[in-house]
Amino acid sequence: MLKNSWLGTVAEIALIVTISALVGIFWNRTLLADAWRGKPTQQAEAAPQGEALPMPIGLMQVKEMHDAKQAVLVDARNLDSFAQEHIAGAIPLPLEEARKHPVSLLNDIIPPDSMIITYCNGFSCRDSMDLGEVLIKAGYRSVYVFEGGLPEWRDAGYPIAGVGR
Amino acid sequence: MAGRRVSDRGGGKMNRLRPYLPAAVRVSLGAIFIYAALPKIADPVAFAGSVASYQILPYFWSYLAAAVLPFLELTCGLLLIRGYRVKAGALIIAALNVAFMAALVSAIVRGLDIDCGCFQQGGSETSPWVALARDTVFLAMTGMVLWFEARRKRPPASISPPFTPPSSVPSK
Repeated sequence: MLKNSWLGTVAEIALIVTISALVGIFWNRTLLADAWRGKPTQQAEAAPQGEALPMPIGLMQVKEMHDAKQAVLVDARNLDSFAQEHIAGAIPLPLEEARKHPVSLLNDIIPPDSMIITYCNGFSCRDSMDLGEVLIKAGYRSVYVFEGGLPEWRDAGYPIAGVGR
Repeated sequence: MAGRRVSDRGGGKMNRLRPYLPAAVRVSLGAIFIYAALPKIADPVAFAGSVASYQILPYFWSYLAAAVLPFLELTCGLLLIRGYRVKAGALIIAALNVAFMAALVSAIVRGLDIDCGCFQQGGSETSPWVALARDTVFLAMTGMVLWFEARRKRPPASISPPFTPPSSVPSK
């Protein structure tokens, strides 16, 4: 009798915990999916108004996000340089063109909610920082700048594409 | 009115309130846990931040805990208030309380200066010591609920007033 009542209670506890867990997981499914993929949460993502500078990001982080395909790498240099040589998987968006494009066209090139890493020819080149600012003004919320750019990437021996290779 | 007369005969104010004590403790405890659950359900990201600040769970697990715990608190709170499956609900609440207290103690031991994240998220900071004292009270209340529940369910012979002989029952 006593044993049965204990078994019953244990079963009830298991049932309550399971149901609560399922409801909780279902209720927060988008948040959990984002957390599982390692996306920054909404709070971290919402850049305060007026802060229009993209965040610098280091080589190792760029490599990790590149390999995990978490971020879109955007090449800020002109199209000829891009054709010659670029980080494998990057897309071309020369700064001058980005300045002329309307937001809708930018959104066609880069999906609105993507995480973006801009780069150009290394520390001496400001285009990637300027492109980052253009993209933030266009409404992109996670914009990072890989200041080491193509030279640092190439020197590290990471994958590169283009006809110059 | 009739109830009052009976209780007056029985003694002072405490005796009059005594029958309501188990229900009062049970409903209060349930209400506290529902009150704790709602802000966390409303803002799971903030609660996940509170969980993460304890630096106990890895990244994703903080979010999972933040997603599941408030609903567990809510369910148990509702069960206690409703008086349904009280033992199971109270045991879960006891386990949660012990887990919260362990987390708080570990935060104190490691010298983490964090908000407890027990109720309102991101409000004024509650020190781990205050939170620990509060959890002790909740744990005691849970103990009372379980004790009342066990007493209520015990076979009548052991706790109820002396068995009424059948002769005193009015015959049809």
